Amino acid sequence: MIEQLIIEGLAVGACYGLFGVAVAIIYKTSDVVNFAQGEMGMIATFVAFHVLTVYNVPFWLAFILTTAFAILLGMLIEFCFLRPAKDPTVLGFIIITLGAEMLLMGLAGWKWGAEQKDFPFLLSVQKMHKIMPGVVLNEWSIGVFVLSILIMIFLFLFFRFSKLGIAMRATQQNVNAAKIMGIKVERVFSITWAMSSLIGAVAAMFFAARSVLDPNFMMEPFMRAFAAAVLGGLASIPGVVVGGLLMGIIENIFGYVWPEWKPIVAFVVIVIVITIKPSGLFSKHYVKKV
Amino acid sequence: MKKILIPVMIVCSFFLISSPANAAGKPGFDGKEIRIAQWGPQTGPAAPWGSVARGSDILFKIVNDEGGIHGRKIKYFIRDDQYNPAQTKAVVKELVEREGIFAFVGGVSAASGMAVKDYLAQNKVLWVGPSTAVIEYVFPLNPYLFAVYPLYEDEASILTKYAVQKMGIKKIAFFYQNDAYGKSGLKGCKSRMDAFNMKLVEEISVEPGEKDLSSQMMRLKSSEAEAVIMWVNPTSAAIALKTCATIGFKPQWISSNTLSDYALMNKITGGLWEGVITGAFALPPTSGDPLMTKYREAAKKYAPEERWGTFYLAGILFAEPLIEALKKVGPKLSTEACLQKLNSLKNFQGVGPMINWSSQVHQGSDSVMIHKCGPNSTYITLEGWTSNEMASWKTK
Repeated sequence: MIEQLIIEGLAVGACYGLFGVAVAIIYKTSDVVNFAQGEMGMIATFVAFHVLTVYNVPFWLAFILTTAFAILLGMLIEFCFLRPAKDPTVLGFIIITLGAEMLLMGLAGWKWGAEQKDFPFLLSVQKMHKIMPGVVLNEWSIGVFVLSILIMIFLFLFFRFSKLGIAMRATQQNVNAAKIMGIKVERVFSITWAMSSLIGAVAAMFFAARSVLDPNFMMEPFMRAFAAAVLGGLASIPGVVVGGLLMGIIENIFGYVWPEWKPIVAFVVIVIVITIKPSGLFSKHYVKKV
Repeated sequence: MKKILIPVMIVCSFFLISSPANAAGKPGFDGKEIRIAQWGPQTGPAAPWGSVARGSDILFKIVNDEGGIHGRKIKYFIRDDQYNPAQTKAVVKELVEREGIFAFVGGVSAASGMAVKDYLAQNKVLWVGPSTAVIEYVFPLNPYLFAVYPLYEDEASILTKYAVQKMGIKKIAFFYQNDAYGKSGLKGCKSRMDAFNMKLVEEISVEPGEKDLSSQMMRLKSSEAEAVIMWVNPTSAAIALKTCATIGFKPQWISSNTLSDYALMNKITGGLWEGVITGAFALPPTSGDPLMTKYREAAKKYAPEERWGTFYLAGILFAEPLIEALKKVGPKLSTEACLQKLNSLKNFQGVGPMINWSSQVHQGSDSVMIHKCGPNSTYITLEGWTSNEMASWKTK
């Protein structure tokens, strides 16, 4: 039983981690906590749903179209909402992203209605593989694990070795210095939002496959993913993923023993971690941002 | 100037303060029309339940097409409260004080209803068939509020009895939403289990917004329950069934009537809803019953864009007793006359349970049907109208 609990915890935790990475990428580059992240993923998932059910296209094509949409959406939100803001404070950024969140939720409710829908995902939660006596692993979990690892490797290589990744890190450290060095910081921000939106959309599709699709479906996962990101350290991408995995395991084991306390355990853990290590478990330095 | 201004301000203030009371005094009808209203979430997170308010409209259209009630047509108002009690208060106040409403019907959300029930009673506005079962609506007696919906406690008791006696299930677990709705179901189930001298093998609560239920489902699996009775919202139910499918746990699922929209539930669970047993406060929407057929045909005529589902049908069901009482009142309509007819309504049955009200008890029914979701979301009737002989409110 404990093995199965850990596997389930790791699977959902990997999903939290993946979504947390989407939040962390923007935070790392521009110090903005994007509260519209969940709804950006939600809209992208609705687009996938629409393409799949209305046009009956194969899943791989719907996936490609959705990722393209997510990239454009991320760039559009950065361009329309963030860029016009004149020297906003952190609070100003938060309000802007909250406004975008409400706009996207209203848009989804208007276009697709509030009735819940089943998201026809490629990987089934019902197709299981027995990995040891009494322990099963479903296709959905395998997909989350594989994807998380691939995205982690990609981001590690991207930020470490690519010119654009290094430009992103430089922009995060000092925007003015980056500008002087010839980095087009506005373009960097735009690409950052696009990447974040893309990763968020993929994670949201995984969440939708496990629950139901409606305009509110990402509210709760976003809160948990954000909590996982703070736990691991918002400034550290591997830390965010490990934070997600830890969160999944803690929630599952705690939820098994004391189910009625499960919804708050994540937030209790955050309070404890922030009190003891404000930068999160894996961040190297403390900058007061959260 | 001051001498003039102060008295003018006092007079204006008096009119401002006193105008709502005057407006609330409107009778809600005249020689040509009877004004009936309903609030409901037409937008926002609970919008799927907004079809209840639209469903009632079908019944009023049928009545109007048949000539109205003693020469008066029904004028029906729907207001979107977005499932927000503060918004409900605002729209109800606006309707009562500006439009003059004779009666409200339906009204989704216990919290919204609780926010306005005293206001409606103070203004002597009737409220028939709230769209949720809340014991506080009817006990202590509210003279202007008449409940149609069977109490969750009664329904859970009836379903538990069915599981134990008819299905021979020995190990039952209960999975419930951590609020008044879920706890009412748990209470009804436990009282029945006590009567059988049995204990639940597990009882697990869930918060309405939780999206990961793996640990809760693992715990239900560990309990080796043969049946799980659930008192949760559609999203939690769908996640529960999907999660159980991932861990290889296949109990007999039993649920309250709130999950009896099989087409919706099958859609959001990817077909996992087949075989689930639920309570029901109405005949199946696909029933061949003449009255049901009449409503179904009317819905096709008046609202072809609407899905003929349980919630839509519920809107008709909640309004039926009011129409019956209005017909019985005759041409000399008044709130008091209608109250008298509602208080003496006996053995009235439309497409819902049999309703009996008296001047002492306004909980109209203790009965539900038991259905099972068959292939292609069809309704299989396992048991007809069944009352709860253990209903605690009957002995009050």
